[in-house]
Amino acid sequence: MISLHNIHKSYYMGDVTVPVLNGIDLSIDNGEFVAIMGPSGSGKTTLLNIIGCLDSIDVGEYSLAGEKINTLDDKSMARIRSQHIGFVFQLFNLIPRISARRNIELPMIYANVNKADRYSRTTTVLERVGLSDRATHVPTQLSGGQQQRVAIARALVNNPDLLVVDEPTGSLDSKNGKEIMQLFGRLNADGVTIVMVTHENDIAACAQRQVHLLDGKIDQDTA
Amino acid sequence: MDWLQFYFDRLLQAFYALRDNRLRSVLSVLGIAVGIAAVMAVGAVSKGGSYLVFSELETFGLNSVWVYRDRNDKDPNRRVRKGTGLDNYDYYAMKETCCSAMDKLTPMVFSRERSIIQTGNRYSNARISGVNSDYLDINNDHIIYGRNFRPLDIKRRRASAVIGPTVVEDLFGKGSNPIGKDIRIGIRRFTVVGVLEEKSRDFLASIGSSGGQDANNRILIPFTLYQQMNGSKAINFFQLKARSLEEADLLSIQVKAFLERRNGKNYKYKTDTMATYIGTADRILSGVAMIGVIAASISLLVGGLGIMNIMSTSVLERTREIGLRKAIGASQADILMQFLLEAIVISTLGGIIGLILGAGSSIILAMVTGFPLTPTPLVIIIALVVSIIVGIASGFLPARRASRLHPVEALRYE
Ligand SMILES: Nc1ncnc2c1ncn2[C@@H]1O[C@H](COP(=O)(O)OP(=O)(O)O)[C@@H](O)[C@H]1O
Ligand SMILES: [Mg+2]
Repeated sequence: MISLHNIHKSYYMGDVTVPVLNGIDLSIDNGEFVAIMGPSGSGKTTLLNIIGCLDSIDVGEYSLAGEKINTLDDKSMARIRSQHIGFVFQLFNLIPRISARRNIELPMIYANVNKADRYSRTTTVLERVGLSDRATHVPTQLSGGQQQRVAIARALVNNPDLLVVDEPTGSLDSKNGKEIMQLFGRLNADGVTIVMVTHENDIAACAQRQVHLLDGKIDQDTA
Repeated sequence: MDWLQFYFDRLLQAFYALRDNRLRSVLSVLGIAVGIAAVMAVGAVSKGGSYLVFSELETFGLNSVWVYRDRNDKDPNRRVRKGTGLDNYDYYAMKETCCSAMDKLTPMVFSRERSIIQTGNRYSNARISGVNSDYLDINNDHIIYGRNFRPLDIKRRRASAVIGPTVVEDLFGKGSNPIGKDIRIGIRRFTVVGVLEEKSRDFLASIGSSGGQDANNRILIPFTLYQQMNGSKAINFFQLKARSLEEADLLSIQVKAFLERRNGKNYKYKTDTMATYIGTADRILSGVAMIGVIAASISLLVGGLGIMNIMSTSVLERTREIGLRKAIGASQADILMQFLLEAIVISTLGGIIGLILGAGSSIILAMVTGFPLTPTPLVIIIALVVSIIVGIASGFLPARRASRLHPVEALRYE
């Protein structure tokens, strides 16, 4: 499903080039749950953004679900994110002052899903993340764990092939963190492919496969 | 219906965002509202002004043409001739054979000396004109008491007079009916046969161009009798009425040619038409209106800059949100449209409120001044189109900046 070949990526700050990824080769199959690990600054988020079609690559080839990504324009990248990918962030990134239901509906608005389908699909994913009774709450009326569940529901609502998850428990206490990881476990058991960045070992242990990054290269891969 | 849903969804998003910043949104809506209302009010005032000027110009008779001697004419020996260059022979000839575009014609006879005008021990300082029975029609004058001159009054030099309301007031007292009573002009007695309806030239008088006289302080007498009193067959000028406003220019050419064919060896002639005066007034008034509208447009421009400012702030504040929206599937075009719609919603709401304010002030102005100033559908459409354009123009740059944000950098933004 995911195939990365010889990926290079640098950031440019004025005259200074900061190389972040130096030749990544990685394949991930349908239904896998992969944790990307490594010390802070090792390029985990950068790699995840590339996998999520949010960032471009300098050198290398990337194909997702059979589609070559490295040559696409903005509109096609947006379409791929809309149809194939669901994002979950450390800081939840919910839009404040609109309800959980409206937050979850957003990806469907960009995917031009009609109103009736939007409503029923939102109800379904709210059930799936265990928040049916919180649909009308705005983010500030929800706990951190609940906010992250809303964010996961939002990521799931367009039935993506791939969940791209960056430090999902980084802003949560250990109890809420555990519950979120159990939720990911159930979703993966239902067949959702998950790529998750974390620097915590016990979080990474929830995944079937661990990939270690060091200095922009894959240092270790349990596959 | 799909596209309707599409725009409805996006419009709702814009409303949510504006609701998030209620005070800021209200202020920028007001900025536009004030601008639109100002433009409308200025438009209404200048429209009212031109209504006033034109209704006063109309009191001279819209189709009027004046013809008089060109005082710069000289004979071949470069000697200046005396006289008005117009007399009764010209009058009868013009009546018979001049000018296909001519409807009516009156000679105008004045006197060099001012006669004393009196009744008992009351006096008047009215201006006396010698005219014929077509004068009233040509000048849009109406009789409120009595009657106009009859052709026989003119022909027989009957000592009859048609007088204005100020003359009635001075000689007989306000509100009295002087028909059949006598007035003395110099040593002669005249019988009042008619009283003119009051005419307003207040505005023109206030800018010093009431046509040289107070329209309500006139005494009209048969020109034939006035000539006899003057001891001269001279006519000072003719006032003509063209068959239509469009033919006024043609008539002035025809009458000038006619008179110069008759008297060209001795005199040249000049003409004026009401049409050219109206054209001039129109140009001046639209110039004034334009300046007013430009001045008011500046306040609209300021309103637009207000929108641009709050949209820029909003884009900056919502950088992470923009990154998030891109991550969940929004394209550049989606983001551009979102922020443009927010600007358009602000400016259109402002336009609607401004329209109400502007219409309200026009209606109040109409009630106070009596001008007919009801806002037309065209004005409403223009105001709304202008506000939408202001919204697009002021929202475009911030919206484009938002749409071009790199999603990763936007998400990283603190
Ligand atoms: N926009 C950027 N400009 C410059 N350097 C960046 C930028 N984004 C990330 N970096 C650098 O790239 C490196 C990798 O960043 P990141 O992928 O976020 O690491 P991780 O997620 O593993 O902590 C870091 O050294 C970071 O400072
Ligand atoms: Mg990171």
